[in-house]
Amino acid sequence: MTAFHDEVQELRKLYPEGTRSAVLPALRLAQERHGWLSREAIEEVAGALELTPAYCYSVASFYDMFRLEPVGRHTIEVCTNVCCGLVNAQAVLEAFERELGVRPGETTSDGEVTLRAVECLGGCSTPTLVAVDRRYRQSVTPDDVPAILAELRA
Amino acid sequence: MSETTVRVAEGPALVLAGYEGEPLRSLDAYRAVGGYAQLEKARAEDPQAVIQQVIESNLRGRGGAFFPTGRKASFIPTPDKIAKPIYITVNADESEPGTFKDREIMLKVPHRLVEGCLIAAHAIQSRHVYIYIRGEYLEEYESLQGAVDEAREAGILGGVEIVIHRGAGAYICGEETALLESLEGKRGQPRSKPPFPAISGVYASPTLINNVESITTVPAVLAVGPEEYATIGAPPDSTGTRLFCLSGNVARPGVYEAPHGITARHLIYDIGGGVPGAHTLKAVMMGGSSFPVMTPDDLETPLDADSLGKKGYFIGSGVVTVIDERTCMVQFALRVAQFYMHESCGKCTPCRVGTRWLVQLMRAVEDGTATEHDLELTLDVCDRIIGKCLCVLGDSAAMPVASCVTKFRDEFREHLAHGGCPFGEDSQLAGLFAPTDQHAHTPMAAEALA
Amino acid sequence: MSTPELVRVTIDEREVHVPKGTGLVETALAAGVEIPVFCYEPRLGPPVGACRMCLVEVEGMPKLQAGCTLTAQDGMVVKTARTSTQAAEGQDATLEFILVNHPLDCPVCDKGGECPLQDLTFRYGPGKTRMSFEKLTFEKPIPISPTIALDRERCILCYRCTRFSETVSEDGQLIAANRGAMSVITTFEDLPYTGAFTGNVTELCPVGALLPTQYRFEARPWEIVDVPTVCGLCPVGCNVYATVREGKVKRILSRNHPEIDEGWICDKGRFAFTHLRADDRLAQPLRRVHRRGLEQISWEDALDEAERLLRNARGRIVTALSGSETVEQAYALGKLMRVGLDSHQAMLPEEVSGALDAYRLPLSAIREAEVVVVLGEVPVVERAPVVDLWIRAARRNGARILDEADEEAIGGAARVVLLWSGPGGRGGETVAQVAEKLGLADRDGCGAFYLPETPNGRGAADAWAACCDEESAESASIGLLVVSGDEAAANENVRALAEQAEAVIVLSMFHGLAAGWADLILPGTSYLERDGTFVNLEGRLQRLRRTATPPCPDELEWLAELAARFGVDLAPYAAGVFAEVSQRVYGGLAFGEVGERAPLRGYPEASEHIARTPLPRAAQKPRRGEIRLVAYKPLFSGAAVERVAELQFQRPQPELELSAEDARRKRITPGDMVTVGANGSAITLPARVNRRLRPGIARVGLEHASGLGGIVEIAKAAEVLA
Repeated sequence: MTAFHDEVQELRKLYPEGTRSAVLPALRLAQERHGWLSREAIEEVAGALELTPAYCYSVASFYDMFRLEPVGRHTIEVCTNVCCGLVNAQAVLEAFERELGVRPGETTSDGEVTLRAVECLGGCSTPTLVAVDRRYRQSVTPDDVPAILAELRA
Repeated sequence: MSETTVRVAEGPALVLAGYEGEPLRSLDAYRAVGGYAQLEKARAEDPQAVIQQVIESNLRGRGGAFFPTGRKASFIPTPDKIAKPIYITVNADESEPGTFKDREIMLKVPHRLVEGCLIAAHAIQSRHVYIYIRGEYLEEYESLQGAVDEAREAGILGGVEIVIHRGAGAYICGEETALLESLEGKRGQPRSKPPFPAISGVYASPTLINNVESITTVPAVLAVGPEEYATIGAPPDSTGTRLFCLSGNVARPGVYEAPHGITARHLIYDIGGGVPGAHTLKAVMMGGSSFPVMTPDDLETPLDADSLGKKGYFIGSGVVTVIDERTCMVQFALRVAQFYMHESCGKCTPCRVGTRWLVQLMRAVEDGTATEHDLELTLDVCDRIIGKCLCVLGDSAAMPVASCVTKFRDEFREHLAHGGCPFGEDSQLAGLFAPTDQHAHTPMAAEALA
Repeated sequence: MSTPELVRVTIDEREVHVPKGTGLVETALAAGVEIPVFCYEPRLGPPVGACRMCLVEVEGMPKLQAGCTLTAQDGMVVKTARTSTQAAEGQDATLEFILVNHPLDCPVCDKGGECPLQDLTFRYGPGKTRMSFEKLTFEKPIPISPTIALDRERCILCYRCTRFSETVSEDGQLIAANRGAMSVITTFEDLPYTGAFTGNVTELCPVGALLPTQYRFEARPWEIVDVPTVCGLCPVGCNVYATVREGKVKRILSRNHPEIDEGWICDKGRFAFTHLRADDRLAQPLRRVHRRGLEQISWEDALDEAERLLRNARGRIVTALSGSETVEQAYALGKLMRVGLDSHQAMLPEEVSGALDAYRLPLSAIREAEVVVVLGEVPVVERAPVVDLWIRAARRNGARILDEADEEAIGGAARVVLLWSGPGGRGGETVAQVAEKLGLADRDGCGAFYLPETPNGRGAADAWAACCDEESAESASIGLLVVSGDEAAANENVRALAEQAEAVIVLSMFHGLAAGWADLILPGTSYLERDGTFVNLEGRLQRLRRTATPPCPDELEWLAELAARFGVDLAPYAAGVFAEVSQRVYGGLAFGEVGERAPLRGYPEASEHIARTPLPRAAQKPRRGEIRLVAYKPLFSGAAVERVAELQFQRPQPELELSAEDARRKRITPGDMVTVGANGSAITLPARVNRRLRPGIARVGLEHASGLGGIVEIAKAAEVLA
């Protein structure tokens, strides 16, 4: 059995036997390994949890954080909900669009960066909140964008 | 790139007690401010007595529903009455737009949350705690996991297992039964009630579900004593302090602990420093984006459930988001509607269909292609969503939209007369992109949205 | 069991008394009030309250409630849309929302005219639409399998289909993906929805979103007649309707018999009916002519030829039955052969026994069992598909499912049901012995089932036995072999027997099954074209109807004519023949009283008439370390399935199932090529590991077994090569 399989069995131990609670953690683990949830990744999760791939896909497709298409090596997620929106979120998003040459939801042609707009990340008092590879950056302004990308590509 | 302001603004320091700017992340730091003393005290008491104290304090849920925390715990059958394990799930899926307080609790006083969980576990005689934290909270997860691990190593857990279960991006999982479904490894779609979680919650077993702030307040209730706690704030119903989430067009946004009952004006102007620049307050997103917006004439309303309720407002999760005059309220309503369309789980008809219809209506108003009839239709669609859905998400979409149409009717009409947005490009929310326009797991879905 | 407490509920000012806990929808029905529903379907498990069609006002509750999620409580006062403006508005709102995205393509929708959405819109819906924006559009229709088409625009997301897949058939293949407005029904990676029961979702769907491809644009509801009959493709005997248009079967629907099928039917029963119109379907008799092969002849000539062959072989005729004849056909054939031609020898593809008559239960009792013991190695679903659903329901109910009759494991369970699912089992005698040992006779809720291979073996055997009391000694030679039906025609033993026969008459539906070896071929009818009776695996006598016009005369007609030539009196129609059989086997029950939803009756005389057939070889018990190969007949196989193009995707892959333990022992992992050999012959197949399979057993579909069986050697293909 694979290392992934064994790790999933460890995750299952956190929950009562016979339950499906490890689905989310296992999908996350698979995504961390592959970057996104390919058909093979979902089949691997399903196999380790003794569920059907269809079931795991059904769950994965419900949640925003699971990527069912290939993504770039890095992810930039800009909150565009109202609190950030009231300050400068759209300008920040557009700065990323300009610098990266992609629209929200797209990946740069070199496969490096995926840009996404996301709903409220819970950083409303420090707009605009941007998650760079999942790590929060608070109070991001359009002027900060080049530096963030330079850091990312360094 | 500044940090969030987190401080006690007024009244006693309860949830944030001991926090003076340095996060109390380590066990030692927390112990140094009296941490885990209440747990020790509670464990020496009869479980029922602990519940009784919470009931007497009249602590109410800080997640938005404001249900009495002690009474909720009292619904859980005692182990001698039921042959199933008893579970505690802590709702750390904080996702309501404008809300960022639970996050700060987990960053600044994570051990207090752990202490609250352990006191609750003693009170309802549970040995299993699941903390469902939203998937996007990474640093918060690490901080909390650190506290749990430290507590475990220090032998504080006392046979109680605390598992932090990470969500994966779904606002709806903040709804308690959707949270349970998600915790069970399913799509996060709310369950039909009854059965209620207290009888049949996670794994069909009795389950107590509490918001992070509610459960973190429990040690504070025991520390000051229930009688004392019940006098703080706006008794009898809105006792104690809460963490207000101040954001938007305000000089000093942040998380402020203050007693229930301070006025919105006091929070925004005295604590928050008012609207910056030469701008004026136009509206307040009160309680969260799920509720009717507040107009300036109601700023003197005390921030407690009763006073707000009398004026048709909700305290929600303590959100106060200031919106100044540069904001188009149609754009606001559109963006709020887009959020709920994006977050609707798709299970029940009125919410799944109605949220999308509202987005279409608001976009038509914003584009100036709607008619006066569409404003009436919007109110009617809202009315047909409210109270008809499986859970409250539908209501949460309809209430703010309906309130904008009603309270800013002239501004909506101007769009119709003007053939588009009278603000032009000047509104703060102009052209704000929404994830509904990119959310596409499959090419097929993308096509359908086009 | 104690009588449930009755409670008083007031619905629209009508008082009704129902057992406490009765669903509100059913409670309202008892009061004569309809609460309209889309997602509610009690057979799918607990209500979900998703569609919101059932909104009602309940006294003491501030908001409208989803009626389907409530149960009757004493003193409850409910107002539906009939008496509550609020509820009426709620229903109107739900329908308006449902119709927001539903296309108005009813005129070209196959569901039109029999569509719950149409009906409820007609009764409760808004008269006009206020939605002036673009509806959601999707690519359509999407074949989610060759048999089912999905129209996502019509879908109202009631989740009935996905709940069926998850909680009834438990196949976990048909799912909802995405969320909110973008939710869609789908399969993983567009793989075809495969399994024994997929077609049920087409009946569960309350709109025209999931439709059988076979029925697409085939008929309008006012042109069709749904004829009640019983499926004749397996021993369960699911109750069905055949939808008939202009004398042709266009569709098969379930016809809920709560004790047999609960309204679920398998895909073979649902979709295999197009074999009626197979390319090689026989309509005219054929005769072998020396050096010229087969020539078509008239029925008159055919009967003359049959008479000649029968007369020449008098006393030396062997009849090979299929077990798919109606009771009446078997009786008519038997009477002709035995009374008219003194030829008493018959064979069936399997043994038949009356040993289980003391342990009879309706199939629905399986669900109530505390312990279900499934003996044998043929997968239940392959032999008697719907029984598999009952076992799953039992497991969901908390029953323990065992694979051996271990008295200790069964312990003090009050309700124990045994099942024998081949191979062997001596027509039920083996499992009857187990039942006797466990003392299950006369115990409430306890019983035993044997899953036969043939749909009506028991009925055919009883009928054959009943037509004559004489027995004859076996004759040394076979003058004539009469092969009745396609299962017999496809049977290897029958083919072998034909080698010894001087002449062969084959009664068959298909050219392909009869052409090579018959001297005279008489076209046969299908179970969908016959009037008569079948006895299912419960021992339940059920009524088949002639739903469609066959391309050839009914067997009973020409059998009566032929019989007359030998001085045998036979009615040319089923009711007449049944009257005769019934006197001897079914206690004189009248044909008209068999029943539309037949009850499970006892037939005390039946067992005495059972035809005894030679015992098959006893299955070898594998010794430790040995592996016994079980080659089973898959559900999706046989003459009918082979002739339905849309069902080919359901036929089992060539693969060998191995137990986890044996796989580990032989270092075989899933997908490895393995070689299975015995007595000098061998086959190579990819391996599949089945955790549920017992060690010492390997399994393969008969069509991939190449005649192998019994104790075999199994090894990784590479090792053999090396």
